[in-house]
Amino acid sequence: MAETATQVERLDPLDPIPVLAGRPGDREVNDQLFLPVWQQTRRGWLALFAITSSLAGLLVLAISYTVATGIGVWGNNIPVGWAFDIINFVWWIGIGHAGTLISAILLLFQQRWRTSINRFAEAMTLFAVMQALIFPALHTGRPWFDFWLFPYPSTLGLWPNFKSPLMWDVFAVNTYFLVSLMFWYVGLLPDLAALRDTSKKRGARIAYGIFALGWRGSARHWRHYRIAYLLLAGISTPLVLSVHSVVSFDFAVSLLPGWHTTIFPPYFVAGAIFSGFAMVLTLVIPARKVFGFEGVITAKHLENMAKVMLATGLMVSYGYAVEHFNAWYSGDHFESFLFFHTRQAGPYAPVYWLMIFCNVVVPNVFWWKKARQSIWALWIASILVNVGMWTERFVIIVISLHRDFLPSSWAMYYPTLVDWSIYVGTLGMFGTLFLLFLRFVPSVSASEVKELRRELDHEAHARAAH
Amino acid sequence: MASYVLGEFQEEAALCAAARRLRELGFAGLDAHSPVPIHGVDEALGLKRSPVPLIGLVGMLLGGGGAYLMQWWMNAVDYSLNVGGRPPQSAPAFIPVTFESAVLVASVFIVGGLFALAGFPRLHHPVFEVEAFRTACVDGFWLSAEVEAPRAEAAAEEMRRLGARNVSRVDGEEA
Amino acid sequence: MKLPIYGQSTDGREHWRSLSEREQRRAHPSEFPAGAAEAPEGFSRRGFLQVLGASVALAGLEACRPPRDTIHPYVRSPEREVVPGAALHYATAAEWGAEAVGLLVTTYEGRPTKVEGNPDHPASLGASGTFEQALLLDLYDPRRLQGFVRGGQPLAFRSTLRALSDLAASHRGDGGARLRFLVRESGSPLLADLRRRIQARYPRATFHVHESLSSDEVREGTRIAFGRPMEPRLRLEGARVILALDHDFLGLGAERLRLAREYAARRTPGPGAEMNRLYAAEAHLSTTGAVADHRIRMRSSEVLSFARAVAHRLAEKHGLAALAGCGQKPAVRIREAEAVADDLARVGAEALVTAGPRQPAAVHAVAAAVNAALGSAGRTVEYRPAPPGPTGPASLRALADAVGAGQVDTLVVTARNPVYAAPADVGLGELLARVPNSLYLALREDETSQRCSFVLAASHPFESWGDARAADGQVTICQPLLSPLFESISEVELLASFLDEGDRGGHRVLQDLWRSRSAAPDFDVRWERWLARGLVPDTAVAPEVPAVRAGEVAAAARSAPAPREGLEASFVADPKLLDGRFAENAWMQELPDPITKMTWDNAALLSPATAKRLGLESGQRVELRLRGRKVEAPLWIAPGHADDTVTLPLGYGRTVAGPTGTHVGFDAGRLRAAEAPWIDGGLALAPVGRRKHAFACTQEHFSMEGRDLALTFDRGDLAGEKHRLDELRGPLPSLLGQVDYQGQMKWGMAIDLTRCIGCSACTIACQAENNIPVVGKEQVARSREMHWIRVDRYFSGDPENPEVVAQPLACVQCERAPCEYVCPVNATVHSDEGLNEMIYNRCVGTRYCSNNCPYKVRRFNFFEYHRPKSATEKMLMNPDVTVRSRGVMEKCTYCVQRIERHRIAARIAGQEIRDGQIQTACQQACPSQAIRFGNLNDPGAQVTAWHGDERRYDLLHELGTRPRTAYLVRVRNPNPELAHG
Repeated sequence: MAETATQVERLDPLDPIPVLAGRPGDREVNDQLFLPVWQQTRRGWLALFAITSSLAGLLVLAISYTVATGIGVWGNNIPVGWAFDIINFVWWIGIGHAGTLISAILLLFQQRWRTSINRFAEAMTLFAVMQALIFPALHTGRPWFDFWLFPYPSTLGLWPNFKSPLMWDVFAVNTYFLVSLMFWYVGLLPDLAALRDTSKKRGARIAYGIFALGWRGSARHWRHYRIAYLLLAGISTPLVLSVHSVVSFDFAVSLLPGWHTTIFPPYFVAGAIFSGFAMVLTLVIPARKVFGFEGVITAKHLENMAKVMLATGLMVSYGYAVEHFNAWYSGDHFESFLFFHTRQAGPYAPVYWLMIFCNVVVPNVFWWKKARQSIWALWIASILVNVGMWTERFVIIVISLHRDFLPSSWAMYYPTLVDWSIYVGTLGMFGTLFLLFLRFVPSVSASEVKELRRELDHEAHARAAH
Repeated sequence: MASYVLGEFQEEAALCAAARRLRELGFAGLDAHSPVPIHGVDEALGLKRSPVPLIGLVGMLLGGGGAYLMQWWMNAVDYSLNVGGRPPQSAPAFIPVTFESAVLVASVFIVGGLFALAGFPRLHHPVFEVEAFRTACVDGFWLSAEVEAPRAEAAAEEMRRLGARNVSRVDGEEA
Repeated sequence: MKLPIYGQSTDGREHWRSLSEREQRRAHPSEFPAGAAEAPEGFSRRGFLQVLGASVALAGLEACRPPRDTIHPYVRSPEREVVPGAALHYATAAEWGAEAVGLLVTTYEGRPTKVEGNPDHPASLGASGTFEQALLLDLYDPRRLQGFVRGGQPLAFRSTLRALSDLAASHRGDGGARLRFLVRESGSPLLADLRRRIQARYPRATFHVHESLSSDEVREGTRIAFGRPMEPRLRLEGARVILALDHDFLGLGAERLRLAREYAARRTPGPGAEMNRLYAAEAHLSTTGAVADHRIRMRSSEVLSFARAVAHRLAEKHGLAALAGCGQKPAVRIREAEAVADDLARVGAEALVTAGPRQPAAVHAVAAAVNAALGSAGRTVEYRPAPPGPTGPASLRALADAVGAGQVDTLVVTARNPVYAAPADVGLGELLARVPNSLYLALREDETSQRCSFVLAASHPFESWGDARAADGQVTICQPLLSPLFESISEVELLASFLDEGDRGGHRVLQDLWRSRSAAPDFDVRWERWLARGLVPDTAVAPEVPAVRAGEVAAAARSAPAPREGLEASFVADPKLLDGRFAENAWMQELPDPITKMTWDNAALLSPATAKRLGLESGQRVELRLRGRKVEAPLWIAPGHADDTVTLPLGYGRTVAGPTGTHVGFDAGRLRAAEAPWIDGGLALAPVGRRKHAFACTQEHFSMEGRDLALTFDRGDLAGEKHRLDELRGPLPSLLGQVDYQGQMKWGMAIDLTRCIGCSACTIACQAENNIPVVGKEQVARSREMHWIRVDRYFSGDPENPEVVAQPLACVQCERAPCEYVCPVNATVHSDEGLNEMIYNRCVGTRYCSNNCPYKVRRFNFFEYHRPKSATEKMLMNPDVTVRSRGVMEKCTYCVQRIERHRIAARIAGQEIRDGQIQTACQQACPSQAIRFGNLNDPGAQVTAWHGDERRYDLLHELGTRPRTAYLVRVRNPNPELAHG
């Protein structure tokens, strides 16, 4: 695999862009990649942090208000029992998929363009999943009893119902969070040690020293470390695929038109990767500019991500097509009414068409190399895709619920100020965490870049030998 | 009453050679420290395959099996209810939790195994006494030998001979 | 005897929640609670619940006690005294106008918690409607008046009585010439006797009777026809063809429950049983019109000419010469009139023509004549003498004139809020100020109480002794179910105090009367029996068949004034608030209108065509102008409404009705004139502003979208539709195994859409039985109403005159419940008897169950809808049903608490539970017996029979949820001659 990859890289004159610009020495790599950590806090960073952290404050307020008053402060009702709460949950979880996918799957396939972006992506995954976890916990009527969803021996003598997809969620999402956390942290160990050893100040040395757990780059460490990291990657791959499948079961297992769909698991996974990569791009493009990482995160990375978005975007479009086909082919009145009337012509039709534009039309610009290589095209498209994936969840959840079987119970859903505050608040919390990450942790793995450089040198020699 | 002898080498190959040589001379307790994993150093130091995969496998089996049994016992045996006319013990519905638990426990075992085998966390180690050793995680390649105090000088001597720079010695009692 | 009641002090000590509250109470004992005046919109709807809670301060926490005098339960329990936790049922009655409905009230430890109908009572037959149920909420309303205030000075009970007798004495001199009474209309023998005695003592005193929903026109019409005012009483069990001339006999009036039962009894299709056929001629879609086989749309003012057209045809074609005079060749609706007439003639004496109280006397006269001519008088309608004297605007006008002429020193008002109910041009409000002593007996602060100098808190009917008459004359002794919660005086005591008997108490005054009447030695034994059974035997009045004076009828029909030109204004009693008497009743406010499904509001209704012509749309606010008076109101486009007429429901727009009723809707009464209180012409509409009015409706979509939901077939087509029905019932292929319910109870329900008249009695009965909270307009607008059983209303066909069907829908208890398997915490699971149970204390509120419920019958507590409750409101709660907290899902469970009570009783008695022994609340209330409940494993059970009926089908059958509630197709019985077009 690696071999073929090299050959492709050597023989392909159409693809001259390198995955690593120049051949920096180990020390240079460290200096360059650790610069954001050691340099003075930038003014721009402070400004951004002020904004995001105040939004995070808004989140805290909105949550407190909700818990104190009751989720009646949201727009949810009967029939629309789920709305922003679950939309945002699925949206964040979806975004949280690119990280582990990039790290795990690309590692297994030894895609070396992974190296420079995997930590970005993993961090994004963690923070996104943290936002996602807020919603299932908060959306219940009595959040203080959420622990009833865990199988513990209670005085009621009663156990949870493992036939409920919500129970599957509990296990899937928590597993995903914990495994992603371990994966990320293990991957971080060598750099933490390096931070410890390059630190000038005693405080930083102690802090990083604690997190480095006493890593000494010992051969004994490396021996267990490499296999453990590989295994985690291998194990995370099916996990990533399973998590969003399970999330999709929340809908697929029900009998509601628009939910009761067999295509959901693959189509949710594709959508997750789609939105995940979009979010990575949205974050990486400004970050590499600000920290001058263009040499490490090269245009090649961006272009490859664009390709992945194109591919997954097409899968998503296919998912839509299959949904509608089944609705028509099944001849089921309720299904076809939803898919061919309510969605296109119902009161929420604009949301549906926005979804079609963002998820079906926009990705196709990446057929053109120009678009793949234009920073602005990439960035705008990535943002549109994020919007599109949010509207997709709105279409699935609210539009299906607000007009189901009995017209007598049809009703509209209108989000309230609190709904919006919580949504915007999670964006703020996510941004806050991400800024802290950029400030205190090297956002590109130095140790892996060093390894990558050695591989590239190796090949260079091999080529020279010919 | 052990002491450590440390030596820094220019690049990986020299380090491996040195390691091999010292082992021939019968020095035990050798170890290499490098910012990136070094090809062939394991053979040089005579390290065996890591047992981490095995630990992970055990975790996976425990997690998966345990989860399925838990669901079966809770829903079908201990408190069986008529839930929507579905059978109390329904394998398809139990698969997701089984799978997720298998993954979770396996990962915990893998990471736990790594920590246990690597002896994490160990915040202080005698080799940290050497200020120069701080390059080990940045761009330095270090060989360390844990030897009886009397043989320490010999080891240091040998290292210098093999081209190690700032060879230094840390005595156990200081540790 | 005092029993400890939950949340109640048994010692009468002062209770308070916070020091501030206590201070406030000390500071102004008789003030309104803070915020009581806030408008009932928006979040403050929940605010108002808190207001009620705060007014616990005013609720004078007297423990609820059984009345001092012995009362007698309907079914005598072995030990006579109250057993904690055990329910007792007491017979009493509620009066609507002059007629009574017999009730059985369930009490726990002496506190009434539920109203049912008295099976022995002719007007109830065991059923109870929304209004009867709602009385209970009034009883416990913490905003009820307390004590007695004269000129701003609070008086104690004793001093009040003294003040009253002094006042009375002051009128002895001139024989009461300057003393007047304005009393509510009542059939009570006791009140009549008191009135007689007062007249004897004050020969020149005058009594005015007022009932805002008066039957003056009926009595005038019968007077024209028979020479003396008569009270017609319909008998539908013998009627095969019914013509209702603007008469909502299924929706309004004391007799509606019995009539619904009799009507439904003849709606079962099939061999042997001939279905009756109902024609309804009316302007706005009423409960009766909605179930009619043929609904003939017309302006209310056109009803007379239609009646005359029918009479004409009967005279011309069917040789009923007597009708020749009052008949008249029609210009419009000839086909309808002829078809109806032919149909009436076909069944002759088994026909029935009835007219509504809103219609002018002439219509009633013609109706009486037609019935007489057809020979149906005495068979499908019987007549009894009616009390003389006006009860409508005329009587108020007379009083107003007297007051205006300064002839009144003392006015005693026991009529219900006359200031609000009086037509605008009577101007009673201003006049009251001129009366030196204006006494007002009121349950609550209202528009009238504000203008009276001496306001007395009235005891609730359930707190006071009295008697009442059913339409057939049978007397019920009304016994109090508990002694007054607040310091108050009853109507009887008030009037008695003008005979210096106020201090003797209602019980003795009442007993004396009946003792003198019965004069039996064993009176006390009989008395007990009367109280227990709720009826006094041998009190029925024999019906008469008076001769019709054809000439007068003809004259009246011809001389009837032509309707005024222009857009017609048609005032109707609101199906929920009636004349506004329920404006402060949160249950009734939140009950969806049976047709529009509107809550907490009223609107000016008009037809789609008329709206189009005037360029108006639903929700548009308009200014209504009539006879120089104007009111602003929102519009509602009502399918099936007659053209060129606007229906204006009364009872809203109250200005002094507490937080619940104040400024809800608009007051159509401001437009009414005394000479045309119901139907008037020359209405003008002028749009006001751009903003659409925000209605809060529980149903926003009235089309079935071509889905098989509430099925309606014509009688003829039923056989042909069998195959279609077979697709909607019977077993479906499934991978899942069958759960075996053999060898135990298998609870099931069946609802017959043919019998259902969509009156919503089930909804309120369920609300009362299951402690269902009221959520307020803002929450309903967010579609968060809590009713466990709703009545879906679907329109089909031509929007100008659609077919209408009502479908009551509660949880159908699916055997393969989609809600259950998605609940992560097993909070909703199946009982071994097949009930889909909710375990409230286990629910965390994920709402997944509701999302996955195809019937959307689950309700969620988005807020703490139940808190805070005043001490008296707590007493209303059914002790057998959990009061659900915030964040919990809830729904119908076939009244599982009733099932368990009967199971326990049966176990104790060592018997099996018999079929029909357990009735769900909705089933028990249902006047038309459209709901059956029982054990499907019992082949003889009534419900099993319906499950096997040829009309049976399952709602959303193809989903394989296997509902335990089955539906029976609605069958119409159209006249072939009118069937198409």
